[in-house]
Amino acid sequence: MSASIAAAVTPRPSGLPGRIAWHWRHDPKAELWIIWYAMVFFYILFGIVFVLLTHVIPPPQPYWDPPRVVQWFNDHHYGLLSGFGIIFLVTGLVAACNALIGYSIWRMSVSPAFAYSYIAIYSLSATPGLLLTAIALTVGAMRPERNPDLIYWLYDMAIMCFDGTMGVFLIGTLVWMIAILIDKNNVFPKWFGYLNICNLITEFVVAPAWVFKSGVFSWNGTIAFWIDTVVFAIFTVAFITLLKRVIVRDDFGTGPLPDGDARTAIHPEA
Amino acid sequence: MRPMSNAAMNAPGSAEANSSLGNAGLRIPGQPDMWAFVMFEALIFSSYFIVYMIRRAMAGDHFLPAQEHLSQGFGVANTLILLLSSWFMAGSVRSAREGKYDIALRQVLLTAACGLLFVGLKLLEWSDKIGEGLTLSTNEFFSFYYFLTAIHVLHVLFGFVVLAVAARELRSPPRRSQEIVETCATYWHMIDFLWVIIFALLYVMR
Repeated sequence: MSASIAAAVTPRPSGLPGRIAWHWRHDPKAELWIIWYAMVFFYILFGIVFVLLTHVIPPPQPYWDPPRVVQWFNDHHYGLLSGFGIIFLVTGLVAACNALIGYSIWRMSVSPAFAYSYIAIYSLSATPGLLLTAIALTVGAMRPERNPDLIYWLYDMAIMCFDGTMGVFLIGTLVWMIAILIDKNNVFPKWFGYLNICNLITEFVVAPAWVFKSGVFSWNGTIAFWIDTVVFAIFTVAFITLLKRVIVRDDFGTGPLPDGDARTAIHPEA
Repeated sequence: MRPMSNAAMNAPGSAEANSSLGNAGLRIPGQPDMWAFVMFEALIFSSYFIVYMIRRAMAGDHFLPAQEHLSQGFGVANTLILLLSSWFMAGSVRSAREGKYDIALRQVLLTAACGLLFVGLKLLEWSDKIGEGLTLSTNEFFSFYYFLTAIHVLHVLFGFVVLAVAARELRSPPRRSQEIVETCATYWHMIDFLWVIIFALLYVMR
Protein backbone atom coordinates (compact mmCIF):
# COMPACT_ATOMS: atom_id res chain seq x y z
CA MET A 1 0.00 0.00 0.00
CA SER A 2 2.91 2.39 0.73
CA ALA A 3 4.09 1.89 -2.84
CA SER A 4 0.62 2.99 -3.94
CA ILE A 5 0.95 6.15 -1.90
CA ALA A 6 4.39 6.87 -3.39
CA ALA A 7 2.98 6.29 -6.84
CA ALA A 8 0.13 8.64 -6.10
CA VAL A 9 2.32 11.56 -4.97
CA THR A 10 5.08 11.30 -7.61
CA PRO A 11 3.99 13.23 -10.71
CA ARG A 12 3.74 11.19 -13.88
CA PRO A 13 5.81 12.67 -16.75
CA SER A 14 4.34 13.09 -20.19
CA GLY A 15 5.69 11.19 -23.17
CA LEU A 16 5.82 7.44 -23.63
CA PRO A 17 9.45 6.75 -22.50
CA GLY A 18 8.97 8.94 -19.42
CA ARG A 19 5.70 7.23 -18.55
CA ILE A 20 7.24 3.77 -18.97
CA ALA A 21 10.18 4.77 -16.74
CA TRP A 22 7.77 6.21 -14.15
CA HIS A 23 5.71 3.03 -14.07
CA TRP A 24 8.86 0.92 -13.83
CA ARG A 25 10.05 2.88 -10.76
CA HIS A 26 6.85 3.77 -8.99
CA ASP A 27 3.91 1.67 -10.13
CA PRO A 28 3.30 -1.20 -7.70
CA LYS A 29 1.31 -2.86 -10.47
CA ALA A 30 4.19 -2.78 -12.97
CA GLU A 31 4.68 -6.55 -12.71
CA LEU A 32 0.99 -7.20 -13.35
CA TRP A 33 1.07 -4.87 -16.35
CA ILE A 34 4.11 -6.68 -17.77
CA ILE A 35 2.22 -9.96 -17.53
CA TRP A 36 -0.92 -8.40 -19.07
CA TYR A 37 1.00 -6.96 -22.03
CA ALA A 38 2.80 -10.30 -22.45
CA MET A 39 -0.62 -11.96 -22.70
CA VAL A 40 -1.85 -9.43 -25.28
CA PHE A 41 1.40 -9.83 -27.24
CA PHE A 42 0.96 -13.62 -27.20
CA TYR A 43 -2.62 -13.51 -28.49
CA ILE A 44 -1.72 -11.03 -31.26
CA LEU A 45 1.24 -13.17 -32.29
CA PHE A 46 -0.93 -16.31 -32.12
CA GLY A 47 -3.43 -14.69 -34.51
CA ILE A 48 -0.74 -13.53 -36.94
CA VAL A 49 0.98 -16.93 -37.00
CA PHE A 50 -2.12 -19.11 -37.26
CA VAL A 51 -4.06 -16.90 -39.69
CA LEU A 52 -1.48 -15.15 -41.84
CA LEU A 53 1.71 -17.21 -41.73
CA THR A 54 0.68 -20.85 -41.43
CA HIS A 55 -2.92 -20.65 -42.73
CA VAL A 56 -4.14 -23.09 -40.08
CA ILE A 57 -7.02 -20.70 -39.27
CA PRO A 58 -9.36 -21.21 -40.99
CA PRO A 59 -8.39 -24.88 -41.17
CA PRO A 60 -7.91 -26.41 -44.63
CA GLN A 61 -10.40 -28.99 -45.94
CA PRO A 62 -10.79 -32.27 -44.01
CA TYR A 63 -11.84 -34.23 -47.14
CA TRP A 64 -8.68 -33.62 -49.19
CA ASP A 65 -6.78 -36.64 -50.50
CA PRO A 66 -3.05 -37.17 -49.81
CA PRO A 67 -1.75 -35.44 -53.00
CA ARG A 68 -3.83 -32.32 -52.22
CA VAL A 69 -2.58 -32.31 -48.63
CA VAL A 70 1.03 -32.58 -49.83
CA GLN A 71 0.35 -29.65 -52.14
CA TRP A 72 -0.99 -27.63 -49.18
CA PHE A 73 2.22 -28.32 -47.25
CA ASN A 74 4.27 -27.25 -50.28
CA ASP A 75 2.21 -24.09 -50.77
CA HIS A 76 2.78 -23.05 -47.16
CA HIS A 77 6.24 -24.55 -46.62
CA TYR A 78 8.05 -21.41 -45.45
CA GLY A 79 5.02 -20.03 -43.65
CA LEU A 80 4.66 -23.23 -41.61
CA LEU A 81 8.36 -23.40 -40.71
CA SER A 82 8.78 -19.71 -39.84
CA GLY A 83 5.36 -19.37 -38.17
CA PHE A 84 5.71 -22.35 -35.91
CA GLY A 85 9.34 -21.39 -35.26
CA ILE A 86 7.91 -18.21 -33.70
CA ILE A 87 5.33 -20.27 -31.78
CA PHE A 88 8.07 -22.51 -30.34
CA LEU A 89 9.84 -19.36 -29.13
CA VAL A 90 6.84 -17.77 -27.45
CA THR A 91 4.78 -20.76 -26.27
CA GLY A 92 6.10 -20.09 -22.78
CA LEU A 93 3.98 -16.93 -22.74
CA VAL A 94 1.00 -19.21 -22.13
CA ALA A 95 2.31 -19.18 -18.57
CA ALA A 96 1.70 -15.40 -18.44
CA CYS A 97 -1.97 -15.87 -19.40
CA ASN A 98 -2.45 -18.66 -16.90
CA ALA A 99 -0.62 -16.79 -14.16
CA LEU A 100 -2.69 -13.63 -14.58
CA ILE A 101 -5.98 -15.51 -14.62
CA GLY A 102 -4.74 -17.55 -11.66
CA TYR A 103 -3.89 -14.30 -9.87
CA SER A 104 -7.39 -12.94 -10.56
CA ILE A 105 -8.92 -16.10 -9.07
CA TRP A 106 -6.55 -15.89 -6.11
CA ARG A 107 -7.81 -12.31 -5.57
CA MET A 108 -11.38 -13.65 -5.25
CA SER A 109 -13.00 -14.75 -2.01
CA VAL A 110 -12.82 -18.40 -3.14
CA SER A 111 -10.29 -21.03 -2.13
CA PRO A 112 -6.86 -20.75 -3.86
CA ALA A 113 -7.47 -24.37 -4.95
CA PHE A 114 -9.53 -22.89 -7.81
CA ALA A 115 -6.53 -20.89 -9.03
CA TYR A 116 -4.18 -23.88 -8.75
CA SER A 117 -6.66 -26.14 -10.59
CA TYR A 118 -7.09 -23.60 -13.37
CA ILE A 119 -3.35 -23.10 -13.84
CA ALA A 120 -2.66 -26.85 -13.84
CA ILE A 121 -5.44 -27.64 -16.34
CA TYR A 122 -4.60 -24.86 -18.78
CA SER A 123 -0.86 -25.54 -18.59
CA LEU A 124 -1.50 -29.14 -19.62
CA SER A 125 -4.01 -28.09 -22.29
CA ALA A 126 -1.38 -26.07 -24.16
CA THR A 127 0.37 -29.32 -25.11
CA PRO A 128 -2.34 -30.84 -27.33
CA GLY A 129 -3.98 -27.55 -28.27
CA LEU A 130 -0.87 -25.72 -29.40
CA LEU A 131 2.44 -27.58 -29.25
CA LEU A 132 1.40 -30.90 -30.82
CA THR A 133 -0.25 -29.04 -33.71
CA ALA A 134 2.86 -26.94 -34.26
CA ILE A 135 5.20 -29.95 -34.05
CA ALA A 136 3.13 -32.15 -36.41
CA LEU A 137 2.79 -29.42 -39.06
CA THR A 138 6.46 -28.48 -38.79
CA VAL A 139 7.47 -32.15 -39.20
CA GLY A 140 5.16 -32.36 -42.22
CA ALA A 141 6.63 -29.23 -43.80
CA MET A 142 10.23 -30.17 -42.99
CA ARG A 143 10.62 -32.88 -45.66
CA PRO A 144 8.28 -32.30 -48.65
CA GLU A 145 9.61 -35.51 -50.29
CA ARG A 146 8.25 -37.67 -47.45
CA ASN A 147 5.70 -40.42 -48.19
CA PRO A 148 2.36 -38.64 -48.91
CA ASP A 149 0.50 -41.07 -46.64
CA LEU A 150 2.71 -40.03 -43.73
CA ILE A 151 2.15 -36.35 -44.55
CA TYR A 152 -1.58 -37.09 -44.67
CA TRP A 153 -1.37 -38.69 -41.21
CA LEU A 154 0.50 -35.69 -39.80
CA TYR A 155 -2.08 -33.35 -41.33
CA ASP A 156 -5.01 -35.14 -39.65
CA MET A 157 -3.17 -35.36 -36.36
CA ALA A 158 -2.18 -31.68 -36.40
CA ILE A 159 -5.61 -30.28 -37.23
CA MET A 160 -7.44 -32.61 -34.86
CA CYS A 161 -5.02 -31.70 -32.07
CA PHE A 162 -5.75 -28.04 -32.71
CA ASP A 163 -9.48 -28.24 -33.38
CA GLY A 164 -10.64 -31.50 -31.90
CA THR A 165 -9.10 -31.36 -28.44
CA MET A 166 -10.94 -28.27 -27.28
CA GLY A 167 -12.67 -30.43 -24.71
CA VAL A 168 -9.50 -30.40 -22.61
CA PHE A 169 -10.33 -26.77 -21.79
CA LEU A 170 -13.78 -27.76 -20.50
CA ILE A 171 -12.94 -28.32 -16.86
CA GLY A 172 -10.69 -25.26 -16.73
CA THR A 173 -13.54 -23.08 -17.99
CA LEU A 174 -15.87 -24.72 -15.48
CA VAL A 175 -13.45 -23.99 -12.62
CA TRP A 176 -13.16 -20.34 -13.64
CA MET A 177 -16.95 -20.03 -14.04
CA ILE A 178 -17.70 -21.45 -10.59
CA ALA A 179 -15.04 -19.23 -8.99
CA ILE A 180 -16.54 -16.09 -10.60
CA LEU A 181 -20.12 -16.96 -9.67
CA ILE A 182 -19.41 -17.70 -6.00
CA ASP A 183 -16.86 -14.91 -5.55
CA LYS A 184 -17.89 -12.18 -3.09
CA ASN A 185 -15.03 -9.79 -3.99
CA ASN A 186 -16.65 -8.77 -7.26
CA VAL A 187 -13.43 -9.40 -9.19
CA PHE A 188 -15.31 -10.18 -12.41
CA PRO A 189 -18.87 -9.18 -13.30
CA LYS A 190 -21.36 -12.04 -13.08
CA TRP A 191 -22.23 -11.76 -16.78
CA PHE A 192 -18.70 -12.90 -17.53
CA GLY A 193 -19.26 -15.92 -15.29
CA TYR A 194 -22.32 -16.75 -17.34
CA LEU A 195 -20.40 -16.11 -20.56
CA ASN A 196 -18.11 -18.95 -19.46
CA ILE A 197 -21.10 -21.27 -20.03
CA CYS A 198 -21.14 -20.20 -23.70
CA ASN A 199 -17.41 -20.89 -23.98
CA LEU A 200 -17.89 -24.19 -22.21
CA ILE A 201 -20.62 -25.24 -24.65
CA THR A 202 -18.26 -24.59 -27.58
CA GLU A 203 -16.08 -27.40 -26.23
CA PHE A 204 -19.00 -29.76 -26.88
CA VAL A 205 -19.99 -28.19 -30.21
CA VAL A 206 -16.60 -29.07 -31.69
CA ALA A 207 -17.03 -32.79 -30.87
CA PRO A 208 -18.78 -33.74 -34.18
CA ALA A 209 -15.55 -32.75 -35.99
CA TRP A 210 -14.31 -36.24 -35.07
CA VAL A 211 -17.15 -37.76 -37.13
CA PHE A 212 -17.64 -35.53 -40.17
CA LYS A 213 -15.19 -34.91 -43.02
CA SER A 214 -17.34 -32.26 -44.68
CA GLY A 215 -20.27 -30.00 -43.93
CA VAL A 216 -21.11 -27.65 -41.09
CA PHE A 217 -19.94 -30.06 -38.36
CA SER A 218 -16.53 -30.84 -39.87
CA TRP A 219 -13.33 -29.34 -38.46
CA ASN A 220 -13.67 -26.24 -40.64
CA GLY A 221 -17.48 -26.24 -40.71
CA THR A 222 -19.74 -23.27 -40.05
CA ILE A 223 -20.95 -24.63 -36.71
CA ALA A 224 -18.00 -26.68 -35.41
CA PHE A 225 -15.42 -24.08 -36.37
CA TRP A 226 -16.73 -20.63 -37.37
CA ILE A 227 -19.46 -20.07 -34.79
CA ASP A 228 -17.26 -21.63 -32.10
CA THR A 229 -14.39 -19.36 -33.10
CA VAL A 230 -16.57 -16.24 -32.98
CA VAL A 231 -17.78 -17.18 -29.47
CA PHE A 232 -14.21 -17.91 -28.37
CA ALA A 233 -12.97 -14.61 -29.84
CA ILE A 234 -15.67 -12.64 -28.01
CA PHE A 235 -14.85 -14.54 -24.82
CA THR A 236 -11.12 -13.86 -25.23
CA VAL A 237 -11.56 -10.13 -25.90
CA ALA A 238 -13.90 -9.97 -22.88
CA PHE A 239 -11.49 -11.64 -20.48
CA ILE A 240 -8.45 -9.67 -21.68
CA THR A 241 -10.38 -6.41 -21.20
CA LEU A 242 -11.74 -7.52 -17.82
CA LEU A 243 -8.28 -8.59 -16.62
CA LYS A 244 -7.06 -5.08 -17.45
CA ARG A 245 -9.92 -3.70 -15.33
CA VAL A 246 -8.97 -6.08 -12.51
CA ILE A 247 -5.40 -4.72 -12.51
CA VAL A 248 -6.64 -1.12 -12.52
CA ARG A 249 -9.06 -1.84 -9.66
CA ASP A 250 -6.72 -4.02 -7.63
CA ASP A 251 -5.92 -2.46 -4.25
CA PHE A 252 -3.71 -5.39 -3.15
CA GLY A 253 -6.16 -6.03 -0.36
CA THR A 254 -8.22 -9.10 0.38
CA GLY A 255 -11.76 -7.70 0.38
CA PRO A 256 -14.05 -6.63 -2.46
CA LEU A 257 -12.34 -4.82 -5.32
CA PRO A 258 -13.22 -1.12 -5.62
CA ASP A 259 -15.24 -0.20 -8.69
CA GLY A 260 -12.85 2.48 -9.93
CA ASP A 261 -9.08 2.93 -10.13
CA ALA A 262 -7.71 1.66 -6.81
CA ARG A 263 -5.07 4.45 -6.64
CA THR A 264 -7.55 7.29 -7.05
CA ALA A 265 -10.01 5.51 -4.78
CA ILE A 266 -7.40 5.60 -2.00
CA HIS A 267 -6.09 9.10 -2.85
CA PRO A 268 -8.77 11.07 -4.67
CA GLU A 269 -6.41 14.08 -4.99
CA ALA A 270 -3.84 12.07 -7.01
CA MET B 1 -23.29 -5.56 -11.22
CA ARG B 2 -24.27 -7.08 -7.94
CA PRO B 3 -22.65 -10.38 -7.10
CA MET B 4 -25.00 -13.32 -6.55
CA SER B 5 -24.01 -13.64 -2.92
CA ASN B 6 -24.40 -9.93 -2.31
CA ALA B 7 -27.71 -9.70 -4.06
CA ALA B 8 -30.59 -8.26 -2.13
CA MET B 9 -31.06 -10.70 0.70
CA ASN B 10 -34.68 -9.98 1.13
CA ALA B 11 -35.92 -11.39 4.36
CA PRO B 12 -39.71 -11.64 4.32
CA GLY B 13 -41.27 -8.49 5.60
CA SER B 14 -38.04 -6.50 5.41
CA ALA B 15 -38.08 -3.03 3.92
CA GLU B 16 -35.96 -4.25 1.02
CA ALA B 17 -38.29 -7.15 0.34
CA ASN B 18 -41.32 -4.89 0.43
CA SER B 19 -39.61 -2.38 -1.81
CA SER B 20 -38.73 -5.22 -4.18
CA LEU B 21 -42.38 -6.29 -4.19
CA GLY B 22 -43.61 -2.77 -4.72
CA ASN B 23 -41.29 -2.12 -7.63
CA ALA B 24 -41.68 -5.56 -9.19
CA GLY B 25 -43.28 -4.10 -12.28
CA LEU B 26 -40.60 -1.43 -12.75
CA ARG B 27 -37.40 -3.45 -12.67
CA ILE B 28 -35.85 -6.25 -14.70
CA PRO B 29 -36.55 -9.54 -12.91
CA GLY B 30 -33.34 -11.18 -11.70
CA GLN B 31 -29.79 -10.12 -12.41
CA PRO B 32 -29.23 -8.03 -15.57
CA ASP B 33 -26.12 -10.22 -16.01
CA MET B 34 -28.34 -13.24 -16.62
CA TRP B 35 -30.34 -11.30 -19.20
CA ALA B 36 -27.09 -10.43 -21.00
CA PHE B 37 -26.28 -14.15 -21.02
CA VAL B 38 -29.75 -15.04 -22.32
CA MET B 39 -29.36 -12.52 -25.17
CA PHE B 40 -25.96 -13.95 -26.07
CA GLU B 41 -27.25 -17.53 -25.96
CA ALA B 42 -30.19 -16.49 -28.13
CA LEU B 43 -27.70 -15.08 -30.65
CA ILE B 44 -25.65 -18.28 -30.68
CA PHE B 45 -28.70 -20.50 -31.09
CA SER B 46 -30.07 -18.14 -33.76
CA SER B 47 -26.87 -18.68 -35.71
CA TYR B 48 -27.40 -22.47 -35.47
CA PHE B 49 -31.00 -22.05 -36.62
CA ILE B 50 -29.98 -19.86 -39.55
CA VAL B 51 -27.37 -22.42 -40.63
CA TYR B 52 -30.03 -25.16 -40.34
CA MET B 53 -32.50 -23.16 -42.45
CA ILE B 54 -29.87 -22.44 -45.11
CA ARG B 55 -28.80 -26.09 -45.29
CA ARG B 56 -32.44 -27.15 -45.41
CA ALA B 57 -33.13 -24.76 -48.30
CA MET B 58 -30.01 -25.97 -50.11
CA ALA B 59 -30.82 -29.65 -49.58
CA GLY B 60 -34.07 -29.41 -51.55
CA ASP B 61 -36.32 -32.38 -50.77
CA HIS B 62 -33.73 -34.37 -48.80
CA PHE B 63 -34.77 -33.12 -45.38
CA LEU B 64 -38.47 -33.94 -45.65
CA PRO B 65 -38.27 -37.77 -45.86
CA ALA B 66 -35.79 -37.77 -42.97
CA GLN B 67 -38.07 -35.51 -40.96
CA GLU B 68 -40.89 -38.06 -41.36
CA HIS B 69 -38.96 -40.42 -39.08
CA LEU B 70 -39.35 -38.08 -36.11
CA SER B 71 -42.18 -38.84 -33.72
CA GLN B 72 -44.53 -35.87 -33.35
CA GLY B 73 -45.73 -37.47 -30.10
CA PHE B 74 -42.29 -37.18 -28.50
CA GLY B 75 -41.92 -33.60 -29.71
CA VAL B 76 -45.34 -32.48 -28.43
CA ALA B 77 -44.85 -34.29 -25.10
CA ASN B 78 -41.44 -32.65 -24.64
CA THR B 79 -42.91 -29.24 -25.43
CA LEU B 80 -45.83 -29.63 -23.03
CA ILE B 81 -43.54 -30.88 -20.26
CA LEU B 82 -41.19 -27.90 -20.63
CA LEU B 83 -44.09 -25.44 -20.81
CA LEU B 84 -45.47 -27.00 -17.63
CA SER B 85 -42.04 -26.71 -15.99
CA SER B 86 -41.88 -23.02 -16.92
CA TRP B 87 -45.34 -22.53 -15.45
CA PHE B 88 -44.18 -24.12 -12.16
CA MET B 89 -41.07 -21.91 -12.19
CA ALA B 90 -43.11 -18.76 -12.78
CA GLY B 91 -45.37 -19.87 -9.92
CA SER B 92 -42.33 -20.32 -7.72
CA VAL B 93 -41.19 -16.74 -8.37
CA ARG B 94 -44.69 -15.46 -7.55
CA SER B 95 -44.90 -17.56 -4.37
CA ALA B 96 -41.47 -16.35 -3.25
CA ARG B 97 -42.55 -12.74 -3.82
CA GLU B 98 -45.55 -13.39 -1.59
CA GLY B 99 -43.33 -14.92 1.07
CA LYS B 100 -44.80 -18.44 0.56
CA TYR B 101 -41.40 -20.10 0.52
CA ASP B 102 -42.59 -23.67 1.15
CA ILE B 103 -44.87 -23.53 -1.86
CA ALA B 104 -42.13 -21.84 -3.91
CA LEU B 105 -39.71 -24.64 -3.01
CA ARG B 106 -42.25 -27.30 -3.97
CA GLN B 107 -42.77 -25.57 -7.31
CA VAL B 108 -39.00 -25.53 -7.96
CA LEU B 109 -38.92 -29.28 -7.23
CA LEU B 110 -41.83 -29.82 -9.63
CA THR B 111 -39.91 -27.81 -12.24
CA ALA B 112 -36.92 -30.10 -11.73
CA ALA B 113 -39.16 -33.17 -11.99
CA CYS B 114 -40.48 -31.90 -15.35
CA GLY B 115 -36.88 -31.30 -16.44
CA LEU B 116 -35.97 -34.88 -15.50
CA LEU B 117 -38.97 -36.18 -17.41
CA PHE B 118 -37.91 -34.11 -20.42
CA VAL B 119 -34.38 -35.54 -20.35
CA GLY B 120 -35.74 -39.07 -19.83
CA LEU B 121 -38.06 -38.72 -22.83
CA LYS B 122 -35.23 -37.31 -24.91
CA LEU B 123 -33.01 -40.28 -24.05
CA LEU B 124 -35.86 -42.63 -24.93
CA GLU B 125 -36.38 -40.85 -28.24
CA TRP B 126 -32.66 -40.97 -29.07
CA SER B 127 -32.43 -44.69 -28.25
CA ASP B 128 -35.53 -45.28 -30.37
CA LYS B 129 -33.96 -43.50 -33.34
CA ILE B 130 -30.58 -45.19 -32.91
CA GLY B 131 -32.45 -48.52 -32.76
CA GLU B 132 -33.95 -47.66 -36.15
CA GLY B 133 -30.42 -47.05 -37.49
CA LEU B 134 -30.85 -43.27 -37.56
CA THR B 135 -27.61 -41.89 -36.12
CA LEU B 136 -25.65 -38.63 -36.16
CA SER B 137 -24.09 -39.45 -39.54
CA THR B 138 -27.13 -41.05 -41.24
CA ASN B 139 -28.02 -37.85 -43.08
CA GLU B 140 -27.74 -34.09 -42.62
CA PHE B 141 -31.18 -33.73 -41.06
CA PHE B 142 -30.33 -36.22 -38.33
CA SER B 143 -26.95 -34.53 -37.80
CA PHE B 144 -28.85 -31.34 -37.00
CA TYR B 145 -31.46 -33.24 -34.98
CA TYR B 146 -28.89 -34.86 -32.68
CA PHE B 147 -26.76 -31.71 -32.50
CA LEU B 148 -29.55 -29.25 -31.65
CA THR B 149 -31.32 -31.55 -29.19
CA ALA B 150 -28.04 -32.57 -27.48
CA ILE B 151 -26.87 -28.97 -27.06
CA HIS B 152 -30.30 -28.14 -25.67
CA VAL B 153 -30.18 -31.09 -23.24
CA LEU B 154 -26.78 -29.80 -22.06
CA HIS B 155 -28.51 -26.53 -21.17
CA VAL B 156 -31.20 -28.49 -19.33
CA LEU B 157 -28.49 -30.28 -17.34
CA PHE B 158 -27.02 -26.88 -16.40
CA GLY B 159 -30.57 -25.94 -15.53
CA PHE B 160 -30.64 -28.58 -12.77
CA VAL B 161 -27.68 -26.82 -11.12
CA VAL B 162 -29.54 -23.52 -11.48
CA LEU B 163 -32.68 -25.03 -9.91
CA ALA B 164 -30.56 -26.41 -7.06
CA VAL B 165 -29.32 -22.86 -6.42
CA ALA B 166 -32.94 -21.60 -6.36
CA ALA B 167 -33.97 -24.42 -3.99
CA ARG B 168 -31.01 -23.62 -1.70
CA GLU B 169 -32.10 -19.99 -1.53
CA LEU B 170 -35.71 -20.88 -0.75
CA ARG B 171 -34.88 -23.51 1.89
CA SER B 172 -32.77 -21.28 4.10
CA PRO B 173 -34.47 -18.27 5.79
CA PRO B 174 -31.22 -16.19 6.03
CA ARG B 175 -30.72 -16.42 2.27
CA ARG B 176 -34.01 -16.21 0.36
CA SER B 177 -32.91 -13.75 -2.27
CA GLN B 178 -35.77 -12.89 -4.58
CA GLU B 179 -33.25 -11.69 -7.15
CA ILE B 180 -31.49 -15.06 -7.29
CA VAL B 181 -34.77 -16.98 -7.59
CA GLU B 182 -35.75 -14.69 -10.47
CA THR B 183 -32.32 -15.11 -12.05
CA CYS B 184 -32.71 -18.90 -11.92
CA ALA B 185 -36.22 -18.61 -13.39
CA THR B 186 -34.86 -16.48 -16.24
CA TYR B 187 -32.40 -19.24 -17.13
CA TRP B 188 -35.09 -21.92 -17.00
CA HIS B 189 -37.46 -19.91 -19.21
CA MET B 190 -34.62 -19.54 -21.72
CA ILE B 191 -34.41 -23.34 -21.93
CA ASP B 192 -38.13 -23.48 -22.64
CA PHE B 193 -37.97 -20.68 -25.19
CA LEU B 194 -35.09 -22.37 -27.07
CA TRP B 195 -36.90 -25.72 -27.10
CA VAL B 196 -40.05 -24.24 -28.61
CA ILE B 197 -37.99 -22.97 -31.56
CA ILE B 198 -36.12 -26.29 -31.90
CA PHE B 199 -39.46 -28.13 -31.80
CA ALA B 200 -40.89 -25.85 -34.50
CA LEU B 201 -37.84 -26.24 -36.74
CA LEU B 202 -37.26 -29.98 -36.40
CA TYR B 203 -40.70 -31.46 -35.79
CA VAL B 204 -43.26 -29.05 -37.26
CA MET B 205 -41.77 -27.10 -40.16
CA ARG B 206 -42.30 -28.83 -43.50
